[in-house]
Amino acid sequence: MSDALEKSGLIFMKVGLHAQESIEDIVKRKQREFEETGSIFWGYGGNTCHPFSMVQPFAKEMEESGNQVLIVMQKMNSKHAAPPEIAKQYSDDGVTWQPIPKGIEVRGSRYAMVLDELRVEEFDLDLGELQVGVGPSRGRKGDQYLMGRVDKGCFLYTPQQVPTTQDEKNVTSIGLVARVKSPYAVLLKT
Amino acid sequence: MEFDLRKAINAISDVVQNRPAPIREFDQIYMKVADMVIQAEYVARVFDNKDVVFVGDGDGIALSAAHLKAQDVINYGPKSITLLDFDERIVNSVRRFGEKLRPKIEVSAYLYNVAEALPPEHFGAYDGFHINPPWGASNDGESVIAFFERGGQATKAKSLGIVVIADDPDLPWTQEVLRDTQNRALELGYVVSELLPQLHFYHLDDAPDLRSCSCLFRRIDPDRMHKTSQSLEPARLDNFYGKNNPLRFRYVRERITLNPDRESEQLYRLEKLEVNNERRT
Repeated sequence: MSDALEKSGLIFMKVGLHAQESIEDIVKRKQREFEETGSIFWGYGGNTCHPFSMVQPFAKEMEESGNQVLIVMQKMNSKHAAPPEIAKQYSDDGVTWQPIPKGIEVRGSRYAMVLDELRVEEFDLDLGELQVGVGPSRGRKGDQYLMGRVDKGCFLYTPQQVPTTQDEKNVTSIGLVARVKSPYAVLLKT
Repeated sequence: MEFDLRKAINAISDVVQNRPAPIREFDQIYMKVADMVIQAEYVARVFDNKDVVFVGDGDGIALSAAHLKAQDVINYGPKSITLLDFDERIVNSVRRFGEKLRPKIEVSAYLYNVAEALPPEHFGAYDGFHINPPWGASNDGESVIAFFERGGQATKAKSLGIVVIADDPDLPWTQEVLRDTQNRALELGYVVSELLPQLHFYHLDDAPDLRSCSCLFRRIDPDRMHKTSQSLEPARLDNFYGKNNPLRFRYVRERITLNPDRESEQLYRLEKLEVNNERRT
């Protein structure tokens, strides 16, 4: 991992087939949207990265300390067959709703992270060196947190104090990286 | 403590059926049903024949304690229950359910946000309070303290308070909030009378193992009671739901529907059965 990554707040997410669209097609579509609009709305669901209670407070705290927030994504096989309902409006506070910007399309998601350029970058990440950075599980190690139904979260990089053997590591392959930018994450509705 | 478990779970099931869906933005995270039985029975025992105020109660512990008594599952419980909550859906659901319990226990509910001064009619009016506030994971327990202070203001000189907050020895923040809450309680004239550790589980998808304790406080020094109730200072609202997650909304308002106990009509549509008339002849 690079120095920049180690100082960043990291939002880890497993990604794959979503709303009946392959991850490869999603990436191509999102990169096109970035070229056209300068932003990406990356759709997702689940309360572990709720826009208001998790992502926004975490991102603001990181930026206040002079660091950026990156989303790092692990590609995986997925059977996410939700109907590809297209969101028409978004809100960064739950009160004021605005039309989704022209040129951006988010399908089958309740929330979206607002991203800069999406880069294909491949490197290994030891989940045991992550620590939950916000919410009720704050302080829990990443490899213990990302178990069962939890597939995403907001983390700080905290290298192990004691050297670990290869067997003790919980290494996962990252395939996609992007900077998360203000307003960081938003609610969506059709 | 002896009661029919089946009757108790069925009574709590009635309350669960009555609850509106939780809103995660406001830390409305519901307790699991078996633990509701335990907490409701405990509340009924501690507050037997007392007037109790619940400052916030998305879980439905107030109604659960009342319903256990009204259904004769237990033969003890509060004399009256008053709920103060900022979610109109919860207030209305408690009023609807509470009406059915009225012959055996008085249940009332009012809209109230802890950021605001306690209305005079509730100041010093009750024998005990119960809170299960936002747990203060990233705000040094500020939200817990705010709810505790309102509970203290709503109760008489000789009174008890039950505080339900996170308790997981593997998560340092939970122990720090527990310590800070007890410190503030001492300043407010209370002592810890009883602590039931790691007692309840919640429907919390990212922390399914996180538990809460039930801490019973007893006021021993009425001289430290607040003489008036004031609005919270703006600085105390900034990190109310966690760091950089302020208290921004006064009330959650309920959208009026003719079927408050049924699925929202916006969430489904009906499709007619096409009858083959030829086969019927």
